This record gives sequence, C-alpha cells and structure tokens, in this order.
Amino acid sequence: VQEKEELIEEWQPEPLVPPVPKDHPALNYNVVSGPPTHIITVNGKECVNFASFNFLGLLDNEKVKSAAQASLKKYGVGTCGPRGFYGTFDVHLELEERLAKFMRTEEAIIYSYGFATIASAIPAYSKRGDIVFVDEAACFAIQKGLQASRSNIKLFKHNDMADLERLLKEQETEDQKNPRKARVTRRFIVVEGLYMNTGDICPLPELIKLKYKYKVRIFLEESLSFGVLGEHGRGVTEHFGINIDDIDLISANMENSLASIGGFCCGRSFIIDHQRLSGQGYCFSASLPPLLAAAAIEALNIMEDNPEIFQTLRSKCERIHKALQG
Amino acid sequence: LNHVVHNGGLYKRPFNEAFEETPMLVAVLTYVGYGVLTLFGYLRDFMRQWKIEKCQNATEREEQKDFVPLYQDFENFYNRNLYMRIRDSWNRPICSVPGAKVDMMERVSHDYNWTFTYTGKVLKGIINMGSYNYLGFAQKAGTCQEAAAKVLSQYGAGVCSTRQEMGNLDKHEELEKLVARFLGVESAMAYGMGFATNSMNIPALVGKGCLILSDELNHASLVLGARLSGATIRIFKHNNMQSLEKLLKDAIVHGQPRTRRPWKKILILVEGIYSMEGSIVRLPEVIALKKKYKSYLYLDEAHSIGALGPSGRGVVEYFGLNPEDVDVMMGTFTKSFGAAGGYIGGKKELIDYLRTYSHSAVYATSLSPPVVEQIITSMKCIMGEDGTTVGKARVQQLAENTRYFRRRLKEMGFIIYGNEDSPVVPLMLYMPAKIGAFGREMLKRNIGVVVVGFPATPIIESRARFCLSAAHTKEMLDTALKEINDVGDLLQLKYSRHRLVPNLDRPFDETTYEETED
Repeated sequence: VQEKEELIEEWQPEPLVPPVPKDHPALNYNVVSGPPTHIITVNGKECVNFASFNFLGLLDNEKVKSAAQASLKKYGVGTCGPRGFYGTFDVHLELEERLAKFMRTEEAIIYSYGFATIASAIPAYSKRGDIVFVDEAACFAIQKGLQASRSNIKLFKHNDMADLERLLKEQETEDQKNPRKARVTRRFIVVEGLYMNTGDICPLPELIKLKYKYKVRIFLEESLSFGVLGEHGRGVTEHFGINIDDIDLISANMENSLASIGGFCCGRSFIIDHQRLSGQGYCFSASLPPLLAAAAIEALNIMEDNPEIFQTLRSKCERIHKALQG
Repeated sequence: LNHVVHNGGLYKRPFNEAFEETPMLVAVLTYVGYGVLTLFGYLRDFMRQWKIEKCQNATEREEQKDFVPLYQDFENFYNRNLYMRIRDSWNRPICSVPGAKVDMMERVSHDYNWTFTYTGKVLKGIINMGSYNYLGFAQKAGTCQEAAAKVLSQYGAGVCSTRQEMGNLDKHEELEKLVARFLGVESAMAYGMGFATNSMNIPALVGKGCLILSDELNHASLVLGARLSGATIRIFKHNNMQSLEKLLKDAIVHGQPRTRRPWKKILILVEGIYSMEGSIVRLPEVIALKKKYKSYLYLDEAHSIGALGPSGRGVVEYFGLNPEDVDVMMGTFTKSFGAAGGYIGGKKELIDYLRTYSHSAVYATSLSPPVVEQIITSMKCIMGEDGTTVGKARVQQLAENTRYFRRRLKEMGFIIYGNEDSPVVPLMLYMPAKIGAFGREMLKRNIGVVVVGFPATPIIESRARFCLSAAHTKEMLDTALKEINDVGDLLQLKYSRHRLVPNLDRPFDETTYEETED
C-alpha cells in the first residue's frame, strides 16, 4: 500500500492542453460585423466576399427573411427536444416532403447540423467488418463518419476510376476465398458530388457502372453540388442525367446554397427510414429550429420558381475560371 | 436503496437520491411480457416469410436484390415486432410553440402503426410534460423573440461559413464573453450543435495514450466523442464514487495495459443531470477525487445549466463549489435557453487551444445569428441584467415546481427515480404494454408525456419521464397530477412499497445523514 501511495504521489500528468503561441494564425479570428453577404465588413473594412458558400445569394433575400420572421412569431426560436419527444414540428415534416419532391426521391430526413448529417448517416449503415471505398480527397465530415463506423476503409486515388476498379477486383478475389463471410459483408462507395478539397466533380456514370458490376452501394455527398450543378439545381445526378434511384443515399447540407443551417439525406424509404432510429445525430440531438426550416422552405421555393439562377451562376463561374487561367 | 453520504463534510446541503428496487413480482411479469411478445414476433415473421401475412416493410429495389442485404433480419426484429406496436407514442408532431401547453396534430393509423395519416384536426391546449423547457423560454412573444426578430432582419438566417473563415460574427464574440461571465470562468466558446460539441472537442483534448473514465449512463454524444478520440475508455458504475476511486488508483499504479508506461492524462466524463435517471452527479466528491489523483474533469451540463442552483448557474452553484475546479464546463443552449447549440467554458489556455484545434471551428458552420440573439437575451434575463427579476422568479418557480411534483407523486405511491431537486422526473412503468398504454391514456386526457423503453433504458426498466418547467403553473401541475393518479390506478402503476408520510419540513442538521453499510 505504501508503494501505491508513492506512485500516486509521483505521477504527473501532462497539462490538459499544450500552450498555443499568441501569434498562431488560427487563433485570432476575423470579426465580421453585419451580415456575411456579398459585401462583407471584416475587421472594420468593407470587402467583396469571395470566401462564403453563399452560392445562390439567398442569405439576405427578403422573402427568405420574412418567411423566417413569420415562423419566429409562430414558434419561437428553439424546439426544446429531439425529434422523438415533441420536437417534430409541422415545418420539419413539410421541409422533408418538399426536399423529397424536389430531388424526386421517396423520402428525406433532416438533421439540425450540416456536419452531423453525413457523419451520422455512414455509421448507421456501415458497421464493423463492412468495407467502404472512399476517395482520398473526401471531406472531414466523411472522415469522421468513417471513423465512427469502425469499418474497413479502402482509399482510392482522387477521381481515379482505374484505381477504384483495381481495389474492387482485389476485394473480389478475397471474397472468393471466403464466400460465407462475403455474403454478409456490406460494401459501400462514398464520394462527393463536388469535392470541397479539390473542386472537381466525381465521374458519376463510371461509378454507376462499377456499382452494378461489383455490387457495391453508393453514398453521394452533395453539400457543394446541391443547388449548383444540374439544370434545376438537383445536383450531380441531374448534371449527368442519371436516374436518382441508382444512388442509394444522397446527403447534403443546407448551409451552402440554401443559406440556412442543417442538413438532409434523401433516397428510397427502404434506406432513409432506418436513420430515424439509428442516426445518432438525429435521435440524440434537438431538432432544427423552425425558423431555419422555414427559411430553407422559402429558399427551395425560390430555387423552383427561378431556374435561371443556376445558369447565371454557371456563366459567372466559367468567366472567373477563364480569367484566372489566362 | 436510499443513498446517503459518508463524506458529510463535503456537502453543504442534503443530497437525497433514491432508486427504489424493482419489486420481484413486477420483474418476473415484465420478463414474461417480453417473452410473449418475442414469441408472437417469431410467429408473425414466420407468417410474413410464408406470405400468409402481407409484408408492410419497405423493400429493396428489384435491380439490387442480389446485393449484400443492407440490414440483418435480426437487427430489425425488435423494430418490426415490438417498437412498431407502440410507435405512436413517439415522434408526435406539434404545431405551436413548445411551451407549457402545446397544440398537437392529430394522426391516426388504420394498419396498426405501419403508416400514419393526419386527420387535419389539431388537438389544442395539451399540457406539455415532455419538452425540455426548464425555464420557460420557449415563447413566441416577449423580449427574447423581439430581439431575435431584429437580428434576423439585419443578419439573415444562415451564415454559410465556418468560424475560422468568414463565419465569426461580432454577435458570436458578444455571446462568448457573456457565457464566460455567466459561468464564472475565464473564457468560453460556442458551437452550432450540442451533440457535435462533445463529439468534436473531446478528440481535441485527449488522444492515444490517455485514459477516459466515463460514467455508465453517459449520453451518446459523450460516448461517441470518447470513441473518436482514440483514448482508452473505462466505465465506472453510475454515480458511484468508490468505483471511480478504484479505477483511478488502478490506472495510476498500473499504467497503460501492455506497456506499463504511465498515462499521459486522465479525463473524467460526467454529466450534471442524467436525463434518463433524474440523478445529479456527486460533484463535491468527484472534485475531491480529481484533485487527489491529479486528473481532469469534463462536466456536461446539458440538462442542469439554468435548471439547478439558486440563480440558475448549474450544478456547480447548486453544490456551492468553485467553477475553476471543473476543468472543462460544457453545456447546451437547447434546454434552458430555448435556442440551439452548445458551449465549452474554462481557462483561457483551454479555450485558445480549442479555437485553433477544435474540429468544429475549422470544418463546421457557426451558430445562426437569431439563435445567438435568443441565447444572449435569455441569459441576460436569467442573470437579471435586463433590469427585471423575471429570470430569478423563473428559477425559483422551477425549483418549487420540482419539489412539489416529486413529493406528490411519491405520496401517491409511484416509484420515482432520481434526486429530489432534479426537474427530470422518471416514473417507472416496467411492463412493455404499459409503455404504450400510459402514453395513449395520458394523451386522451390532454397531457403529453414522454415514455422510454429499451434500448434507451435497461430492458425491464421502462419509464415515463416528466420534464418540469417554470412555465407550468400550479393549476397545470395539479391537473396533471390528478390525471396521473387516475391512469396510475387504471394501469396499476403504484408499485412503491415505501409509502412516505407527507413531509413536515425538517430543519437541516448533520443527523439526517446515515452511514452506508459497506
């Protein structure tokens, strides 16, 4: 016992956090006063905003704001509960229906935070022992979702379909050695529509071919491409003209084009309904404040009524790309 | 089993927590109930497989029938056969502000809960005992709502950027200074989602080579954060200080499992109020242990901030302790402040480190401006800085409501878990059929309650959980109590064998503590 007391006396832990140097670049944030729209006041100076994800310019749209005001007058700010315990409002149900109709899928499910959407969706389906093929340049939220799922991760080179096919073939030979295990191991490919880290679009038609050849399911993360690509803004599936039922799960966040907060997943009921009981960010967290859901519904209305904004956005992008490339 | 303290000196007030044992007959009948349900489940699955009964489940696409099945049949057994039968007790849609009374959309099911249709009728004025509205800030009019409306028209609803990029508004800085002042700590940082606060910041604080000691009944967000960090996790029995001390001693003496090297850091994860049990953490003892064994304490005050303590500052004030003793004070704004989001408060070095290294600051969007304004206004109201005594009155009203409600329920003879001062009141139901019956009977009588069963609770300990609010008036509580009494008689829920004599207020003195039997 004497020894134990001595050991306890002697043990010194590390400090809880290491000290951060005062001039660390990430320590002192830029302070934005006023709304972070196209003209933004940073640290007192007025600038043109090329840094926010406000792709369709809906952040300071008057119609969106008045819809949110109406919702605020009716419901207050917070929902005071998760979806299961009196936190489901009629606005949430309406937003889910509208999103499902817009994306032409059976069902949609809403999360209260964009990051948590894909980070809760992946572990709901992929468990320990399953295999996930994911692109090297996948965003951080996908990486966290994969880490939480404890599955086997196989990375393939960014947008390189030959590399992915090589990995799939290797997996096939593995399967033939142990067919019993192969029958219960689920396989997924996780890709993004428009990659946050590189700005490329994923080659979706080739992915669909690989999906049916090797029997893997596809999860598509469309945070940046929702409301940007495609004739009506439905994302990369519309951009390539692919049947949306071929993608098992589409996940996106509403914090970019829709200028609100939160995220959603859409797909067939067979797949989406499972998340209502096993999506951690859905079951164990408070639901989205109704004013943000109302703002998202109004933004969707604007997107549906004015499909020419996508063409405007595209022409501006092409102009900037051409000008920068010289 | 009445819990009392043997380190009487650490506690400045009586700590009355009780978890009455499950009566033997009730436990047996509950197991029998689950057994019968399982048998019927197998029978129905058999009938569905042989097409005698129509399968109502959604199914896989024709083109993908030869893919590896997405769900294993066994995983969904509980879902199909037990949860489906009582599914109407959850996800009830409401269409008004979630205050003391709420309007619910009526829904019916013609095929035993497989699908729901909305009749279009709205059930008005249902007493809301399910929302986490502890201080009654879920309001659609008033100073908070007006301030939020002004900020909404000025800033818009979204932010479209992360904290480290263009998402750090002046409103966020104002909020963080206010939160630090409210808690009595040096500095604070706010995040967009309470769940994400835990799951993204615990990995920033600990990593491989560190040890996490986590309470048995911690919330899913704490468990996820601990798992994502990569540290070793050890679980101690719920609120049991002997178990925690044993783990701490073993950890320091024996070191890491295989290499025997000393641990880099030890982090203790506890919550202020545990929402399923209604128990309050034994904070004075935890802090004493933490100081003795030089570990760090992470306190999750999701339910206790605003709800405990004479001025609503949480469990630290409730016990009369120093906020600087808790290394990481985490909490959420969803429950007592009527908004959304989470915060972490602590020393300046800690918050500076989190500003640079937290995953949330780098990759996730910041809080929406009207939500921030709601938090600022409600926090100022609680602190009394808006010039009124509304905040203080609400905190006191909540404490009175809690004591009154719990006392009356215990007198009626129900088994109530948890601490006397916790506004979360679990009432034991035990049997699976009573879960659905209780929810439905109370709704018929215009009272909305929350019922929970497996897997959120152990399989035989299903319960109904009441969340009290400062917005509940005494008349509402009396109506609710009368209906609970009637339903309790109807469903035979009065299991308690320790019938309490109605309370005569006794003055606090040392002799109210008994010694535990070792």
